[in-house]
Amino acid sequence: MVVPVGESVTLRQTVTYAVREALSGAGEPVVHFVAPVAWHDIGDVAAGVREETEMLLERVAVWAREDGDDDLVVETTVIGADTYLFGPDDYARVIATYADDSGIERVVVDPQYSPGGNVPILRPMEAALAERGLVVDEAPVDRPTRRGRLLRRGGALQFATLFGISFLFYQLLGGFAGTRFDVATGAVSATLVAAMLHRVTFTDRLGLRTLGRRLVRLVAYVPYLLYEIVVSNLRVAYVILHPSLPIEPRMIETECAVWGGMPLTLLANSITLTPGTLTVRVHGRRMMVHTLTPAAREGLFDGALERAVRFVFYGRPALAVATPRERDDARIVEDDDGADGGETVVSGPAGGDA
Amino acid sequence: MDVTPLEVAVVGFLLGGVFFTFVTAVGVIRLPDVYARAHTASQTDTLGAGLTLIAVALVLGLETTTVKTVLLVAFIFVTNPTAAHAIARAAHEEDIEPWREDR
Repeated sequence: MVVPVGESVTLRQTVTYAVREALSGAGEPVVHFVAPVAWHDIGDVAAGVREETEMLLERVAVWAREDGDDDLVVETTVIGADTYLFGPDDYARVIATYADDSGIERVVVDPQYSPGGNVPILRPMEAALAERGLVVDEAPVDRPTRRGRLLRRGGALQFATLFGISFLFYQLLGGFAGTRFDVATGAVSATLVAAMLHRVTFTDRLGLRTLGRRLVRLVAYVPYLLYEIVVSNLRVAYVILHPSLPIEPRMIETECAVWGGMPLTLLANSITLTPGTLTVRVHGRRMMVHTLTPAAREGLFDGALERAVRFVFYGRPALAVATPRERDDARIVEDDDGADGGETVVSGPAGGDA
Repeated sequence: MDVTPLEVAVVGFLLGGVFFTFVTAVGVIRLPDVYARAHTASQTDTLGAGLTLIAVALVLGLETTTVKTVLLVAFIFVTNPTAAHAIARAAHEEDIEPWREDR
């Protein structure tokens, strides 16, 4: 059987259950523990995640050997490292692919398993796995499960951070008057905000150092974005005021080299914010962007914004990643014909050679 | 009549803001389809409102209201792409083909 694992309070019990089931079943007792991860091999975040995951798998293997006997075969693997895992379907896909490759039909799930951070994706993931013809089975664990609610992992630190930010913002709007009324109402509001939202606001478990570095790099990013906005504004203004309106709108599709919800959002919004490029659809890392002029298109193919966003989140090593043009990750969408040439529809004497 | 450098800057920023807002108005009329018009709408929101609000901040000087003005710009910069994306996405879901100059 396959057991997807991640940090959870009931992981130990799940391992025991899986091992017992494997030993009591017919045939050779084999348990595959797989850890689906969504990282990419760049930057300061990835190294930590990789190490953590490998340590988790080692721990699980030790537990499994404790519970099992000499016949038990334990396999541990990290899966999904080369793709972008976003929703329940993505997780189900990599797990099902692994199961198919190993000829396994049964999946045992830890009821507290939460690969999506604060986003509850366990139940849809189970449904997606069942849809792919796998037998899905939740490990019976003592601890009551709290699924269905949006909460997990919210702690005192999250509460304090959110309270601090809300309180400061409240005082800022009040002009730091410092009156007793302002302080009291600010504290009440900030407490309410923090109490309601501290479990859902922070989705990534990031260290203070990573967070601080990202903030510094974000501050450096803003002037750059403003510069890009001014330049593209002038370009679009020129095109619009030009008597012949020299526009060549094209839809382009690009596979962005950024990973995760926040980086993608920042990139998609920055693209839309600069006139001349407009994000139309986002599917995972695949973006459809409407471009107004060839110049805007070139900018996107050269990936300057993408590189800057990568820098904000992953630091200097991320600058070395190739541009979308070099990666062959960006192309102009030519209608439903699906042809790649530029002249699919232009009727001419040379037609019919496709 | 005395004109201080500050007033020159304020008028300059205001004119810039008015210029880009005007360009958007022209663009919305001249551009051919919903996607192209969404491009020019972000001009008003970014530089049109941005430059105008900079002028406002300069007039106000160092004050709490100035901070709020800057926050306004920040919020516009977050909400503009969201709205533009929502419109473009809706258009795409309705299978609206982007206009092209060659057909």
